[in-house]
Amino acid sequence: MRTYQGEFTIEQPREKIWNFVIDPNKMGPCIPDLIQLNVESETRFRTLVKVGVGPIRGKFDLTSELTVTQPGSTASLSIRGGGMGSGVDMKAAMELTDTADGTLLKWKCDAVISGPIASLGGRLIDREAQKITQKVFANLKNALDNLPDEAAVGATDGTAADEG
Amino acid sequence: MALRQTEMRPMGKPIGRKEDPRLIRGKGRYVDDVMLPNMLYLCIVRSPYAHARIRSIDTSAALAAPGVKLVLTGEDLASMNLAWMPTLAGDQQMVMATGKVLFQYQEVAAVVAETRAQAEDAAQLIEVDYEPLPVVVDPFKALAPDAPVLREDKEEKSNHIFHWEAGDREETETLFRDAPVIVSQKVRFPRVHPSPLEPCGCVADYDPAKSKLTLYVTSQAPHVHRTVLAMVSGLPEHQIQVISPDVGGGFGNKVPVYPGYVIAVAASLKLGTPVKWIETRTENVASSHFARDYHMTAEIAAREDGKVLALRVKTIADHGAFDAAADPSKFPAGLFSIVSGSYDFKAAFVEVDGVYTNKAPGGVAYRCSFRVTEASYLIERVMDVLAQRLGMDPAELRLRNFIRKDQFPYKSPTGWVYDSGDYEKTLKLALDRIGYEELRKEQAEKRARGELMGIGISTFTEVVGAGPAHLFDIVGIKMFDSAQIRFHPTGKVIARLGVRHQGQGHETTFAQIIAEELGLSADDVLIEEGDTDTAPYGLGTYASRSTPTAGGAAALCARRIREKARKIAAHLLEVSEDDVTWDGIAFSVKGLPGRSVSMKDVAFAAYTNIPEGLEPGLEATYYYNPPNLTFPHGAYIAVVDIDKGTGAVKVRRFLAVDDCGNVINPMIVDGQVHGGLTEGFAIAFMQDIPYDADGNCLAPNWMDYLVPTSADTPHWETDRTVTPSPHHPIGAKGVGESPNVGSPAAFVNAVVDALSPFGVEHIDMPIFPWKVWSILREHGISE
Repeated sequence: MRTYQGEFTIEQPREKIWNFVIDPNKMGPCIPDLIQLNVESETRFRTLVKVGVGPIRGKFDLTSELTVTQPGSTASLSIRGGGMGSGVDMKAAMELTDTADGTLLKWKCDAVISGPIASLGGRLIDREAQKITQKVFANLKNALDNLPDEAAVGATDGTAADEG
Repeated sequence: MALRQTEMRPMGKPIGRKEDPRLIRGKGRYVDDVMLPNMLYLCIVRSPYAHARIRSIDTSAALAAPGVKLVLTGEDLASMNLAWMPTLAGDQQMVMATGKVLFQYQEVAAVVAETRAQAEDAAQLIEVDYEPLPVVVDPFKALAPDAPVLREDKEEKSNHIFHWEAGDREETETLFRDAPVIVSQKVRFPRVHPSPLEPCGCVADYDPAKSKLTLYVTSQAPHVHRTVLAMVSGLPEHQIQVISPDVGGGFGNKVPVYPGYVIAVAASLKLGTPVKWIETRTENVASSHFARDYHMTAEIAAREDGKVLALRVKTIADHGAFDAAADPSKFPAGLFSIVSGSYDFKAAFVEVDGVYTNKAPGGVAYRCSFRVTEASYLIERVMDVLAQRLGMDPAELRLRNFIRKDQFPYKSPTGWVYDSGDYEKTLKLALDRIGYEELRKEQAEKRARGELMGIGISTFTEVVGAGPAHLFDIVGIKMFDSAQIRFHPTGKVIARLGVRHQGQGHETTFAQIIAEELGLSADDVLIEEGDTDTAPYGLGTYASRSTPTAGGAAALCARRIREKARKIAAHLLEVSEDDVTWDGIAFSVKGLPGRSVSMKDVAFAAYTNIPEGLEPGLEATYYYNPPNLTFPHGAYIAVVDIDKGTGAVKVRRFLAVDDCGNVINPMIVDGQVHGGLTEGFAIAFMQDIPYDADGNCLAPNWMDYLVPTSADTPHWETDRTVTPSPHHPIGAKGVGESPNVGSPAAFVNAVVDALSPFGVEHIDMPIFPWKVWSILREHGISE
C-alpha cells in the first residue's frame, strides 16, 4: 500500500468549497485526463480516465463512492476499478478547516495498486501520483476561482491532455 | 578449433557440434515455428492481484469480439475436471483460478481467436470482479499464527508445506556444545528465474477423427509430460504424442507442466482444431516457475586451527502459492543435504521448512541438480566467514578440511556416498594457474594504497545424475533413462534417447559415445530425441542427468549391440565367437590381426547374411538405472576490483577448474562452463525477483530482471582435472550445472574479501553497486 497526503489553502470560504467538492458533477471534471464522467447518483460516479505510467498506456474505468462523515468539513471517497489487467483500490479522506486567509484543505489517500501498472511502472508511480494530485488541485482551484460562472468549470481541465 | 566429425575413436575429442549448422543459421524448428492448418491462438488473462476472491467473470464482450472462437474460465475447466493439476512436487496447482487467485499473474481466463492479436484484444474485454484479500509475501510472516491461510483447498489450515531434515541432530549438538569456535551466518539465495531466451509455449492439436492429441511443447521431459497429461486429461496415453522440437534454452524452466499447456489442450479438445499458446516475456518471468528463494542460516563448529567439526543449517524455503518444486518425490528440499560440500565434517544436521506465500509457484532446479546451488553457495560462503573469523587464508582453510583422495568412496554425514574426487589436486591447479600468491601480494600492496581488490574461492562438490531408481522418482516414475540404437544395413545408425537436450549438444556427444563403442565416426550416428512416439521412455534432461543416465544407457546399449555383432563377426570370419576380439574399430581373429571385419560389415550381414539361429537386424534398447549419483567438483577463483566512487565491481579474472570425470567433448564442456558461469555471474550481481507488500511482482520483465549481454560478461578461463566416476559406464559425471552451482560463491567471496578490512563478513546477492557503495559510504570511503 502507498499513502499520499498533502494540504493547501484556498482563498475561498469553506462552505463554497464544500458544496463544490461533494458534487460529483463539479468535482468530476477536475480529474485530469478525464475521458468520460457518468454520475450515477449524488454520491456515486463512474469515470473513464486516461492513464500512463512508464511504458503502460491505456484507460482506467473507476467507480467512486462519496461518504460524508461530517457535513461541511470531512468526507471520504473510495475509488475502485482498473484496466489493462491492473487494479486500483483507493481510500481518500478530506478535511476542510477555516483559516485566516480562507480554507485549509487537508487530504490523505491510501492506494493499493496491482498488476502490470504496479510491476512495470513501480518506480514511476509515486512521481506520477504526485503529478496527478497536483493537477487535481490546480483544476479544483481554477474551477473555484471561476465558480460564479459555473459553466466554465469543465473547461479548466486543459492542463494534462498533452502530457505524459 | 573444432575437429571434423569423421574422426574415428571420437571420445574425448573437440568435435564440432552437429546441431550448430542448423541452429546458428536460424534453421532450428522451435514450437513457435509450428504452423498447422486452421490453427487458432490462445491468450491468457492473468490476475492483477496477489490474493483476491473472484466474485464474477463477465466474458460476454470478449465472446462477441472479432475472431473469437472460445473463452474459457476456471469454472469451464472445472466442468471438464481440468481446473486443477498435479505438480511435480505432489501438490495441486490451479490451471485457471476458481474461487480465488493466489498470486499476481495467475491464470484466470483464456481467449482463443483466429489471430494472436484478436485473442489479446478480446482478453482485454474480460471483466473480472475481484475482492482483494490480505496478502502474505514474507515467508517468515506466513508462518505466524495470525497469518491468513492461503490454501483453502488443503486439509491442513496452515501455510507450512513440509518439514524435512537430514543428518544427525544429537551428534551435531554434542559437537557444537564443546566446540572452541562457532560461526553463524544468515544467507539468502534470492528468488531468480532461469529465463531462457525462448519462453514456454505449445501447439495442442486434437484430431477428433483419430481421437489423438499431438502436443508440440517446449519440454525438457516430454515423456513425463505425456504421462502427466494422460493423468490430468483422462485421454489414453497411447493416444497422446508429445513432441518437443528444438528448445531455445531450458535451464529447468521447461521441466514442469504449465497451466498454459493444459488450457491449450482443453481448448483444442473443445474446438477440434490446433491451438497455439506462446508466452510473453512477462508471463515467463512472472508466472512460470522461479528458482531458489532460500532463507538459510548456517553454523559451523570448528577447532581453533580451522579444522571443521560440525555443520548446522536451518532454512525457510519460499515455494510461492503452489509447491511446484521440480524435486524427486522423496526429496522436498531436493539434494540440499549435499551442503557439507567438499569438507570432512564429523556431523551435520540440516532442516528445511517449505512455506506458501502469495507469489508465483516454484521452485525449479535452475541449472542445478535440485537445490544443490543453494547448498554449495551456502557452505562456500560460510567457509569464508570461518576463515575470516580465524584470520586464516581461505585456500589454506579449505586444504585443511578437504575430504582426502583416499577417503573415497566417502560417506557424507547426511548420507551421500561420494563416488570419487581429488579436491586438493583441483584447488592446487587453480591456485597455481591463477598465480594465487602473487595476487595476494598485489592485494596487500593495493590495500596499503587504499585500493579495493578481492580474491574469492569456491571449491564445490555437486551431486548429479538422478536415479538411482530406488531413491528417486518423479510423480512415481523411477528416474532411470534410456537409449535405443538401430543399425541400418549400410552401417549407419539412428539412436533415440529418453532425454531431451536444449543446448547441451546431445546430437554430438551421444553420437561420440555410441561411435566410440561401435568403431564408427560420430558422423555415422544420428541422434533423435523429443518425440514420445519414437523414443524410449525417459525422465528428461535436467539436473545434469543426461550423461550420467542416458549417456550410460547409450554406452551400455552399444555394448549390447556389440555382443550380437560379435556373433555375426564370428560367422563372417568363420571362427568361433571365442576367437573374435574387438580392438575399438573392428573385430578380428585372435592372433591374426589381418583378418578382420568392421562394424559396417557386420551391420550389412545382419540384414543380408545372418547366421542360422540368430535373429536378423541389429538393434538394441537399454534402460539404465545408475547404481549411484555422480559427484563432479571444481575449484573456482574470482579476482575483482571495486570502484570506490561508485561501488561497481569489475571481475578482472575468473578461473574455473572443473572435474567432471572423463570428458566426452572438451569443446562442449568449455561451452557449458562458459554459459553456466555467465548465469552465475548474473545471479551474483544482477538478478532478483522482489515483490512489494501488496504482492506485486517488481521484476516481471528483462528491464527489471537483468540478463547479462556479452558486453557485461567477464572473460572466462577454464581448465580441468579428471577423476573418473568409478561406477559410470564411461567414467563421466556431468558438467552442465557445475558453473552455475559453483560460481556465485566465488564472486561473492571475492567482493567480501575486498571489503573485509572494513569488517564486512557477508553481503547478500545480488551485489548491486549501490550495496557496495552504501558499505563504502558507511566507512567513509565513498561520498
